[in-house]
Amino acid sequence: MMPQLLTVRIERPHGRTIRIWLPVLPVALLLSPLLVLAALATAVACRIYRVRMMSAFCAGGRLVCALPGTRLNLHEGRTGVHVGIR
Amino acid sequence: MSEQRKDILGMLAEGKITPAEAEQLIAALERDLSPSLAGAQLRPGSKPKYLRLVVENTNEHGEPGRVNARVPLQLLRAGVRLAALIPPQALAQANAELSRTGVPFDLVQLKPDQLEALIEHLEELTLEVDQPDAKVLVFCE
Repeated sequence: MMPQLLTVRIERPHGRTIRIWLPVLPVALLLSPLLVLAALATAVACRIYRVRMMSAFCAGGRLVCALPGTRLNLHEGRTGVHVGIR
Repeated sequence: MSEQRKDILGMLAEGKITPAEAEQLIAALERDLSPSLAGAQLRPGSKPKYLRLVVENTNEHGEPGRVNARVPLQLLRAGVRLAALIPPQALAQANAELSRTGVPFDLVQLKPDQLEALIEHLEELTLEVDQPDAKVLVFCE
């Protein structure tokens, strides 16, 4: 399943916490022109390095679809960063 | 060192509690901590979905640090499939760099199905490193 939401929480030492919820699909739609360019660049790179294009796109897609459930929490003293993909 | 453990030692230093009471509190704290880690580990019969990495340490200022990462095993499998697409000339370059840095490892010999088997067996892995100032735990859940 494609990632739906990226959550970032940054805890600062003075008690201020920054929370960011990033819906993946609207952001991907917003950045779609750049994604098309990236896809074209990937296609050119595949041709140059003689890698099967469809396999590369499939493997990349599988990698993105496997991202939900990834979670990273870093804490150092009173500061902390939490990143989660749902 | 965790925050609670530091509080207990602080109370002991201030003379609010006796050494015996501090020992009891620390023992209780460890009892509380152990089931949460054990509970997070794999229950018999269930198939693991995530690889967990937990690192607890204390920095040079005495502040506790913690890294808690959860990576889906599916992501590792997808990464292996992507790695299978690496062109042979790039693998040869990587091999040359590895041998130059003293790691004589031939990446060409590493086949995707072998990596798949490695991930399969990773599900049974539990790695625990316990040192006075740091603790590392790697397991599947």
